[in-house]
Amino acid sequence: MSWIREGELNLLEKISANILKAGPMPKHVAFIMDGNRRFARKKQMGRQEGHMQGFNKLAETLRWCKHLNIQEVTVYAFSIENFKRTKDEVDGLMELAKQKFEKLLEERDNLEKHGVCIRVLGDLNMLPVDLQRIIAKAVVTTQSHNKCFLNVCFAYTSRYEITNAVREMAWGVEEGLIKASDVSEALLSECLYSNNSPNPDLLIRTSGEVRLSDFLLWQTSHSCLVFQSVLWPEYSFWNLCEAILQFQLNHKSIQKARDLHREHQASQQLEADRACVAELLQHHGNGKPADAQRRQEALLHHTACREERIHDFLEALKHKRDSFFNDLTSEAAVA
Amino acid sequence: MALLYGLLWRLLLLLVHVNRVLVSWLRVRLRSMKGRLWERAVAALLLPLALAGFPDQQKKLNHANPDANGNPVTGSRAAGRRARWLSDGRALDKLPVHIGLLVAEEELSYTDTANLVVWCMAVGISYVSVYDQHGIFQKNNSRMLEEIVRQQQDLLGVDGSKYSVEVLNNGSDKQQQNVLSCRPAVKLLCPDDGKQSIVAAAQQLCRSVEKRERSSKDISVTMLDSLLRESKNVPDPELVVKFGPVDSTLGFLPWHIRLTEFMSLPSHRGVSYDDLLGVLQRYSSCQQRLGQ
Repeated sequence: MSWIREGELNLLEKISANILKAGPMPKHVAFIMDGNRRFARKKQMGRQEGHMQGFNKLAETLRWCKHLNIQEVTVYAFSIENFKRTKDEVDGLMELAKQKFEKLLEERDNLEKHGVCIRVLGDLNMLPVDLQRIIAKAVVTTQSHNKCFLNVCFAYTSRYEITNAVREMAWGVEEGLIKASDVSEALLSECLYSNNSPNPDLLIRTSGEVRLSDFLLWQTSHSCLVFQSVLWPEYSFWNLCEAILQFQLNHKSIQKARDLHREHQASQQLEADRACVAELLQHHGNGKPADAQRRQEALLHHTACREERIHDFLEALKHKRDSFFNDLTSEAAVA
Repeated sequence: MALLYGLLWRLLLLLVHVNRVLVSWLRVRLRSMKGRLWERAVAALLLPLALAGFPDQQKKLNHANPDANGNPVTGSRAAGRRARWLSDGRALDKLPVHIGLLVAEEELSYTDTANLVVWCMAVGISYVSVYDQHGIFQKNNSRMLEEIVRQQQDLLGVDGSKYSVEVLNNGSDKQQQNVLSCRPAVKLLCPDDGKQSIVAAAQQLCRSVEKRERSSKDISVTMLDSLLRESKNVPDPELVVKFGPVDSTLGFLPWHIRLTEFMSLPSHRGVSYDDLLGVLQRYSSCQQRLGQ
């Protein structure tokens, strides 16, 4: 079954959507699509069938999001912890993923028409190479699209993602691109797999579990978290509306918290810059205290240099990541 | 047309607020009213109306317990309470070793928070972390400690010193951190203990890379985890109880909450022991599959 579902909302759905859209709407929603196996048990079907239904529900949900003007969706498709499952189930999921990404490539024109950009986030080198190649092809094919974005977390856990970001910054230090003192919350965010996306406004987990299971822990620190008891394959438009309503009720207080955090971050950066400059001036100052003007100049200079270093480092990182995908696609072409 | 939808949206929000006020009013009334008929009627009313955010306590209608909340006590009453609370803890299939109390409200109550801490420890939880998004509890940690000691005496009697509390500040009082003892410990957290700690650990690792003490390839999840873990004995919080209407973690320890169960109570002000016990009972019945 296809990734892209066409079709309008029915009248009642349309009216409800318009009512919701009168209020603040999330621009980026993340889903933990939990409950496929319990659904399969409930309907007495095989697990593989349950996962298939889960995928169909994802396509359906993307259609609803499009009608609700939700531009970006991130989904937790496969955790690194899921490798602990039986070999049969893991192989089945890998095969399902391969089929789905191959289907995606077949629908290339449709994806272009709708402007869908697919990104896959995770430690992709943990996956079988043929799956890596297909994923790379899907990502490269759609990377210039910019109407809506689907981020699929595959072979992903948040701790691995954060650790990878730290490793990348350490790599930057090793290569002499940045200094250890340049490391900040903002820089770490830029080094995550999700650096091209804003933080999710809303995180929804289905099937009644009330934990995050190592998903986007950094990015959702100030997101609205909604836990719903419905099983993922049974998710409905109304469940989505309920979650969005919850987001709207929380919007003001969460926005306030976010702004507070941003201000705090900015003041911490300023403090860090000042500390660096003070240390620098001490070294070069021959013990004489520098006057306020000199301190200010030094601060501006330091900040400008830091920003330039960071810009160059992030360019290098982007190049590294793009090469990873491009190399895989050229391998695929040759193979 | 847009105006009409705008009005309808405002009406919808108003209905939801009215529902919430009604539900919380009923909950308060119910605590003082015993009687199965009332419970059944209200349960029937609440179930379809309740909008689930963080699943909260609307479905759990506990009987009122006049003993549990803070009243200055005589010795035997306190001893009875202590024994009861300990047995409540033992009766649960599982109890968190480390619990987080996330106060997502603007107006903070030291007394109620101290009550919660004392109840948690009396029930058998070893580590209690208290968090508010402005870090106010942490800034006023001496006042918090006083309040906890006072509530200990009120609720547990003079003998409550058995449960002596160590308030762990962020490494500033290293000698207070008694890693070997199994006495309960309370930690007061602020947002800087979250992302900023991860950044500090990252800086530390980058500095050692700068000095060529290690390679970037050496950096692993376990390495980062051990830097972020103050003491090897303190596990990640298995349960976080959130107080207040905001459905967000508001920056609470992002690294440590990967498998944490989140449960919600409407407010920490006026919270009762039964409310907390209800949450612990719910926690003890949840299953973690850990990816499998």
